[in-house]
Amino acid sequence: MTKSWAITEDVSRWVVILAATLLAAAILLLVHELRSRRQRSWAIFATGLLAALCVSLAAVRPVWVQARGNLVGPRVVVLVDQSRRMRLSDAGTTRLQKATDALGSISRHFQNARLSAVGFSEGTLESISLERQPLEITARGARSDLSQALRELSATPGERPRAVIVVSDGRLSRPLADLDDARLREAVGLLGVPVHSVAVTDTAPSDASIRSIRAAGVAVAHQPLAVTVEVGCDGTLPCGRIPVRIRELRDGVAAAELANGVAEMQDGVGTVELEITLDQAGGRVLEVSIDAPPGDLVPENDTRYLTFVVARDRIRLLHLAGRPTYDVRALRRWLESDESVDVVAFFILRDSEGDEPGASSLELALIHFPVDELFNEHLRSFDAIILQDIDAVKYRLSRYLARLAGYVELGGGLIMVGGPSSFAGGSYAGTPLDSILPVEQPRHDKPSDSKSFVPRYTEAGLSAAVTRPIRDLLGVALPEMAGANFLGQARPGSIVLWEHPDLSVAGQSMPVLALGEAGDGRTIALGVDSTHRLAFSPMAANVAGRAYGALWDGLLGWLMRDPRYEAARVEVVGECLEGEPETLLRVTRLPGMQGQLSLSLTQLTPEPHPEPIVRQLPASAPEPAEIAIPGLKAGGYTARVRIGEAPPSRHDFACERGGVAFADSRPDRARLEAVSRATGGMAVDLANIERLPLPAATQVSAERKVAPVAPPWVWTLASAVLLGVHWITRRNGGLP
Amino acid sequence: MAHPRFRLSRRAALAALAAAPLARAFGQDGAFHPRILLTGKRAPDPARATGATGWSWELIRRTSAPARLTVSRIAADSSELLEEPFSVWFGADAVEPLSEPEVRGLRLYLSLGGVLFVDDSNPGLGAFGRSVRRELSRVLPESPVVRLPPQHVLYKSYYLLDGPVGRVEGPPYLETIQSGKIACVILSSHDLLGALAQERGGGWTFPIESGAQDQRELAIRLAINLAMYVLCLDYKDDQVHAEELMRRRGRQRQ
Repeated sequence: MTKSWAITEDVSRWVVILAATLLAAAILLLVHELRSRRQRSWAIFATGLLAALCVSLAAVRPVWVQARGNLVGPRVVVLVDQSRRMRLSDAGTTRLQKATDALGSISRHFQNARLSAVGFSEGTLESISLERQPLEITARGARSDLSQALRELSATPGERPRAVIVVSDGRLSRPLADLDDARLREAVGLLGVPVHSVAVTDTAPSDASIRSIRAAGVAVAHQPLAVTVEVGCDGTLPCGRIPVRIRELRDGVAAAELANGVAEMQDGVGTVELEITLDQAGGRVLEVSIDAPPGDLVPENDTRYLTFVVARDRIRLLHLAGRPTYDVRALRRWLESDESVDVVAFFILRDSEGDEPGASSLELALIHFPVDELFNEHLRSFDAIILQDIDAVKYRLSRYLARLAGYVELGGGLIMVGGPSSFAGGSYAGTPLDSILPVEQPRHDKPSDSKSFVPRYTEAGLSAAVTRPIRDLLGVALPEMAGANFLGQARPGSIVLWEHPDLSVAGQSMPVLALGEAGDGRTIALGVDSTHRLAFSPMAANVAGRAYGALWDGLLGWLMRDPRYEAARVEVVGECLEGEPETLLRVTRLPGMQGQLSLSLTQLTPEPHPEPIVRQLPASAPEPAEIAIPGLKAGGYTARVRIGEAPPSRHDFACERGGVAFADSRPDRARLEAVSRATGGMAVDLANIERLPLPAATQVSAERKVAPVAPPWVWTLASAVLLGVHWITRRNGGLP
Repeated sequence: MAHPRFRLSRRAALAALAAAPLARAFGQDGAFHPRILLTGKRAPDPARATGATGWSWELIRRTSAPARLTVSRIAADSSELLEEPFSVWFGADAVEPLSEPEVRGLRLYLSLGGVLFVDDSNPGLGAFGRSVRRELSRVLPESPVVRLPPQHVLYKSYYLLDGPVGRVEGPPYLETIQSGKIACVILSSHDLLGALAQERGGGWTFPIESGAQDQRELAIRLAINLAMYVLCLDYKDDQVHAEELMRRRGRQRQ
């Protein structure tokens, strides 16, 4: 029990300050008065002092305080590094196991303290039970963010800890390595208590790793991008020159090597700058790998899989037309009007076998159709190819159709626009290009039908985002088309948007407009040559000719994976990592998309048709839908999501083996020492945990009694008496 | 004065007399087709109107472009004007002032991207050209008539031409009204249809004014270039053609 007094119990602080100020002023006035009258009367001074003091005490009324308190152990929090890097092997065990052992030792050493343990990595802190024996700590997250952990701890309501103990290998992502002491203190000193540290290891494994991959700016399709790869090599490995390779993973075809080089190692670190060019926009999965020297103990960080989001500066199109028509005119006019489209066009203006221009080549403005140059040298530089009514045999395209199909499978876009020389009429049936188009091409004598008709929207056409712009203008109305190419059934996975009202194939209406995917690329088949009537016709005039642009905006946008024309957005929640129990995919329907959600996930492998993982959710599933996929291996993946009857949306993503967590396997004890030094804590290793100081015990009040030093009337009476005595003394001394 | 409804139906009937059948073969829907524009009460000169067929025939014979040989007459205030993006307005005498529906019809046609070729059959008189300019200033009041520069793509859209000629040699330039990058109205004072018109037997209907047959060939080439310009717009201005065409121009002038 302790006994003390307090100047007041019930008077506010400002009254106490006012009383003290008045007391001091009264004393000063008295001294000044005595000095100015040249009197040295100690009696006057003493009585005046006592009277003023008594008046002040009467105002604040001092009290006796009796308190009964208990001493309890100090609150200490242990922050255990939970990042996946702690799974790394170390001297026959793992860093995580060593951290668990360290936590046990700390529990024993601080048995008189109120100890609690939380795990930190990235995101929120995770509580670790000290009751459960044996202790169990799970690894999670890619980073070791100590700054965030301390910030979260300081924001937690309740009693503040008297000390914090960090158990880690020291490879912290924050605070950063290059902070000076002042900035380090600012980063980790929020709690104002010592941060001790326990280093679980001091030994770097024999490991060559990809430490970091940095790109100089944003990846833009067709534009070279400098990628800097930093390689580390430690331990007993023979580190001299380490080859580095970058490949792009693709669907159904072998990965394409984009660049390779050699990292010249110096003091265990080497960097190599590689220039890559990605031709297709959207999410592209890159594999960056090194050839690690023999004896590498951590193979998980020899290969990284990264998703590069490639932007598109301008869409570069190749427009090939077999003859000039109003349909060609309408398409050219629209393509030219779009500032974001860069068109390279070749129209066949003269058939060298039949046409008679009656002039020498010098008098003609005609150049040879550079088919060899286009398809041999420049094909990959285009985002999409438009084949409009051009005969494959007559204009020597036949020999390049396999190459064109390969181009599409590697991510290119293709639109075949109808006409007498399109599809089977242009000798495309049975060619390599045939197999990647979204519809089959029946090979019969009559490749087209001349009867006029008005195309009809299918269910998919009415729900597809790709047709929304034109439906917004015209509703379900479409202009009359002067005949159509005979098209076969839609291939599996293809989507028919328009169909013929009268003609049918295999018991179903004949497709007129269909979309499909082939490998990484997309294709569109449009089996009519009269869409120019959407630009120029009485119907077109009702909407100022905008319907043509609306149709082609949608078609080209879908071909180029413009998010506006997709049915859904897919994203990976957190990281996708090999060895994790599951990967979470979040699927968000875009406005207007209704119906059952169907997700198909395939790995980006050279095999043409890998077995997909399929998940289906009903139309009533909550939004956004989160779909757990278990057991993904490292590599690239393609998630295709279909909402109702709408065309599928595609999202490519990478799944890593070690990821960022394993990028640098070296422990960093010096960082832990710097953190402890900056906060007045102590840094120790596993063998010296008992050297950590125990903070002072905390006193907790259990009972408190307050009693006035004297009743208020005593202070009042004493003040009156002392004021009277002082007055008498003054009068006797000759003071007024 | 005739009732407007009567005038409209009479022109529609005139147009229907020579109209092509509506049902077209697959692939013919986008074929080049010079349609004769009708305005006011006056019917166009039938002899020169055959020049439209000659124009299509020469296009088919000399190029890969499809064309229709039938002669169509389209009233300026008819919705059929909006069926195809090319029409020819020709004549020798001054045209009557356009009615409001005709002005509106032509304005809509040009704003949608249609091309109107104006051919003065008697440039020496000049009455047709002057009256058409007057009416066009009502149709497109903000757009002046300007000379087509000699570097314009129309002079290299198929043949490399130094300038325009028709049955009449005329001025060494064409005139135009631009709509954005497109020459939506092209005015000729060269009687181009006169140079293309043929009799049933196969002979040319009108003699070349200068008597030089080379001039008729150059007129046909100008017609082909006009058709190619309508079908391909500024295709020959593309960078891939520029270097080669410049080289050929240089060699031509040596």
